[in-house]
Amino acid sequence: MLSKLLKYEIKATGRVFLPLFLALLAFAGITRLIALIGQQQWDTPVAISLLIYGFIMVAMFVMTFVTMIQRFYRNLLADEGYLMHTLPVKPWQHIVAKLLISMFWIVVSGIVAFISILILALERGDLRDIVASVAPFLRRVLDQFGNWTYLFSLEMLIGSFLTLASGILLIYASMAIGHLFRKHRMLASFGAFIGLNTLSQILFGILIKIPKIAPFAGMPMNADEFQAQLPIIQEYVIYGIALSVLFCTIYFAVTQYILSKRLNLE
Amino acid sequence: MSVILECNGLTKTFGSKTALSDINLKIELGQIVGLLGPNGSGKSTLIKLANKLLTPTRGNILIGGQEPGIETKKIVSYLPERTYLNDWMRVHQIIELFTDFYQDFKPEKAYDMLKNLNINADDRLKTMSKGTKEKVQLILVMSREAELYFLDEPIGGVDPAARDYILKTIISNYNEKATVIISTHLIADIENILDSVVFINQGQIVLTSTVDEIRDEKGKSVDDLFREVFKC
Repeated sequence: MLSKLLKYEIKATGRVFLPLFLALLAFAGITRLIALIGQQQWDTPVAISLLIYGFIMVAMFVMTFVTMIQRFYRNLLADEGYLMHTLPVKPWQHIVAKLLISMFWIVVSGIVAFISILILALERGDLRDIVASVAPFLRRVLDQFGNWTYLFSLEMLIGSFLTLASGILLIYASMAIGHLFRKHRMLASFGAFIGLNTLSQILFGILIKIPKIAPFAGMPMNADEFQAQLPIIQEYVIYGIALSVLFCTIYFAVTQYILSKRLNLE
Repeated sequence: MSVILECNGLTKTFGSKTALSDINLKIELGQIVGLLGPNGSGKSTLIKLANKLLTPTRGNILIGGQEPGIETKKIVSYLPERTYLNDWMRVHQIIELFTDFYQDFKPEKAYDMLKNLNINADDRLKTMSKGTKEKVQLILVMSREAELYFLDEPIGGVDPAARDYILKTIISNYNEKATVIISTHLIADIENILDSVVFINQGQIVLTSTVDEIRDEKGKSVDDLFREVFKC
């Protein structure tokens, strides 16, 4: 059932995002083309085209945010919920489907934005230059981190996804809490967001002090000192990930509880 | 006969307002039941509780002996009193959605009914009139081979000709193994297809009876009895 939900979620949101992606890439291309045809200076057509490009870029990122909220609110807590909640699907599957697709579009938007920048600005030979400058950087990272490099990269990746997920789940939980109120549910959701966010920060502040991880031995002065501290940094990163998981779980549990036990559609 | 719907002390309040008050009700399989009452009497609330769109304040509601949940959703086909379908979808896309999620959904039945009511499966819901949307929703709901159908005001917004077709559809889809619960205040139109009635007023059950009993014992039509009971 989850895969079917994901399929419909992609369909429902893709019709918004795909045209935006195409428009963004198209205007990056058009701007580039006009600039190539015209002289070197900045003339009006290029400026206009660039303005539209910028506008679409902003619209795209605003849409990822708006869609994240709207799909959850409209599809599960408003009229469309009459269909969604009568499908033989468990509430957690609805939440997971919405969450994964929201994350998916945010990541893809980032990738599309990056590609559009390449289309707009990439000159012949740039790629070679980029590779040439990145390679030594990577080599230095490898020198510094040694065998830890891959582990740290993986943890960074997991950490960013978890942070993104906990941000989205925080918003879902806020909307679910707002749903508990009979009137002014939007306002209540907003209040719930502020409240939940504040509580989370307090909890985070307390939790971060609990583990007995050895403190930093001052700023590392050279590669050897840095390497010696890596295990400590490693412990911090792992603990950070564990906290992200904890917060994701709390927000998810709140949302899940309200959707399955306290649903009251208008 | 086995009981398909059962309410025990079912109560639902919204703030200080009581929508349903201590409802006790048993409905058996294999009949068409009219859930009749004036506006705001609690008909929709009862149906929404059965579909888990609302959470009871007290008491419980059981469908085939189970609390509303994923298992009951598989056997309940529900027509809400409002349009809930995504505007941007085409009719055939919604049929695909229903086929995907409901094992008892029969797409050929749906296409057949669409043809009879002259609705194009390629049309988007956005372009349809309110009445046509209602017809589409009813077609979707009746194309399932469910055990329990809840039809909340199924004929309110459609023209008389379509009304006849819809009632005919309900009767022809209904079988010994299924129960249809129709909520409405347009009693005269559906009186002939009902087996029994539940009168509900201000959140309480006023009367449950078979239609034959009303006719034979009281010598009245359901419509007349309704007007008598709910006289303003």
